[in-house]
Amino acid sequence: MAGERSGDGGADLVVVGTGVVGCLIAEQALDAGLSVLMLEAGPRVERWRIVENYRNLPPSLRLFHWDAPYPPKPWAPHLETRHDKEAEEYLQLEGPNARAYLQGYVRYAGGATWHWAGICWRLTPEDMRLQSQFGVGRDWPFGYDVIEPYYVRAEYAMGVCGPSEPALQWPPNATRSKPYPMGPIPFGPGEHRFTEVAAKIGMRNLPAPQARNSGISYDGRPACCGNNNCFPVCPIAAKYDAATALPRIETKGGRILVNSVAYRIETDARNSIQAVHYFDSQKQSHRVTGRTFVIACNGIETPKLLLLSKDDRNARGLANSSDQVGRNMMDQPKLIADVEMREPLWTGVGPVQSSSILNTTQGTFRGRHAGAMFRMENFARSPLGAAAALKKGLVGKALDREIRRLAACTARLTVEHEILPHAENRLTLSAKRDWLGLNKPNIHYDVGDYVRRSAKEYTVPRLQRLAVALGATSFELSPEFLNSDHIMGGCIMGSDPATSVVDADCRSHDHDNLFLPGGGAMPSGTASNSTLTMAALALKAADAIVRDLQHT
Amino acid sequence: MSDLHRDDSPAAFNLERREALVLGIALGTWAALPTLSAQAAVTSWSDESADRFLELSAVLIPHRLNAVVGKRIGAAMNALHPSLSEQVEELLAIAKKKNARVVEDFFPDVPEGPLKESALAIISAWYLGVASPAPDAEVFAFEYALMFQPTRDVMTIPSYAISGPNAWSADAPPLSDVPEF
Repeated sequence: MAGERSGDGGADLVVVGTGVVGCLIAEQALDAGLSVLMLEAGPRVERWRIVENYRNLPPSLRLFHWDAPYPPKPWAPHLETRHDKEAEEYLQLEGPNARAYLQGYVRYAGGATWHWAGICWRLTPEDMRLQSQFGVGRDWPFGYDVIEPYYVRAEYAMGVCGPSEPALQWPPNATRSKPYPMGPIPFGPGEHRFTEVAAKIGMRNLPAPQARNSGISYDGRPACCGNNNCFPVCPIAAKYDAATALPRIETKGGRILVNSVAYRIETDARNSIQAVHYFDSQKQSHRVTGRTFVIACNGIETPKLLLLSKDDRNARGLANSSDQVGRNMMDQPKLIADVEMREPLWTGVGPVQSSSILNTTQGTFRGRHAGAMFRMENFARSPLGAAAALKKGLVGKALDREIRRLAACTARLTVEHEILPHAENRLTLSAKRDWLGLNKPNIHYDVGDYVRRSAKEYTVPRLQRLAVALGATSFELSPEFLNSDHIMGGCIMGSDPATSVVDADCRSHDHDNLFLPGGGAMPSGTASNSTLTMAALALKAADAIVRDLQHT
Repeated sequence: MSDLHRDDSPAAFNLERREALVLGIALGTWAALPTLSAQAAVTSWSDESADRFLELSAVLIPHRLNAVVGKRIGAAMNALHPSLSEQVEELLAIAKKKNARVVEDFFPDVPEGPLKESALAIISAWYLGVASPAPDAEVFAFEYALMFQPTRDVMTIPSYAISGPNAWSADAPPLSDVPEF
């Protein structure tokens, strides 16, 4: 290619993406003695900079606009939501539930774990067998017994805290082969009351396993001290985020190239991968070679890159003989209910999310409608209470009392549904192009009747019962489904190459040295946060990669 | 290993410059408001204006107010509403007439309309830490924004935790106990 810089002396392993998946794999490979080169589309930034960005946001952007402290670079765009026009810029969304795919991820070194909640639920054995148990969706190509040791490794790699009593653990009937590395984080007053109230109507609010240092420091990072702004950023790195792995990766000899946007994966005559091409911030193209390649850019950017890489041998895009790349896009379609109550619920003590109700995700009803996870949100509601009280024109003592009352006596209840994989929920390349001239992602999304039936018959009635049990005097439900930022399905896993993109190790069926681990590989979305499962899949892929490279 | 301002992009695209651009856009937005014209000499905001603004703030808001924050709020509100100095004097006059020690003593006497709106806007700026609802609004205070104070015995000011490892509990004080501040 004219003007292209000639390749780096190739690494054993090229990892595209420095999020949690890419970083876990890179570190496993380095520990096994392999050389690793990482490409990251966006910049490397210091934590203090993100905290300052966050603190200098107006209050209207400090909540719910989780990308606001992360202004994207022109060459690595991601969602911005300061106003509606901005929100339409990068992700091209269509379909009856376009709004539910407004995914907020971060194209910075460290990826979306910069602003994740840190919640680390495991799948249940049934979650992995939807087709054989309930006749819907897809089965995983392996069972819970295979993923369990990888869950343990992921929990120790990130530092996940959780309860030691089996009665409080999830999944409920599966034994853990090792305890959590740290004990649970205490509930604040809100979660304590919510747990009591929910129990009265058969909903069990469990302490959430979370990648947050509980009571002690772990991995050289301090314990959580309750800053209550886990999203958009933990000021002290008590919450695991992949950015904390970057210095370790470099110390172990890994090379990280930032502001380097991969735009084409190159195959050789045998249809193996031989190189990745990327643009730098000056729009100069570069080519890097390697023996094995991991594309871990997240569930939108990875299928997009595969489609962009189509060539003569792979007319529909790389890894796509099944025509499933970019299909089966999943997330957890979310509904929120804002309630006002007679008694306080008191949010804002401890982490912003620290518990959830999961027994509502399991049951024979799954043959008919989606299961769902319920929770209360624990972010401090003081700014919301203040804004509402000020709008009433109150002054003096009346203002202060009303701020306190509204802050304490309002709550946001969330329910996240399990969606089934559908071929028509699909990512394709938009005709619109970004600053580098690369096609923007276009996503069609429809949550489907499986989810809508659940909302009508199952979840919304339960939200209303929760509200009544909490003594709510008002109840306002979101008018449409929203995003949960857990992007899954676009590189779906299976044992049949005709209907899936990757195998049980997240290895592409089509290219023997290409791995596509992460949320995109998950054959079932489930109703709970996907990151721990993604991390487990990353470590499983890493084992396969190390086996490959150490034996050749 | 990494210096304090590490950001590996070319200078034209670094975060600091983007902030300067954002502020520039924000000022441009303010310029579109009908209260400012190309010719308008912004009413000079003297030290005396600032002092009077703080004096009014103190009688509108019965709490300890940070003078540095107050100076910034006053100057920014004056840029938005050049008639602010006059309104400050009018409001102080009403307060004096009623021998007001606290806001409840005189607020019912503030006439509906621009004067009441200004008084409420001043209170709002102290509580929220911004003087405008714009997404690019200048932030005067976060930790010192009064909105966090009525619940500061329970709710953390985000990113300003005053606690320790797992040092919180499920206890909460009564709703009726508004903290002193």
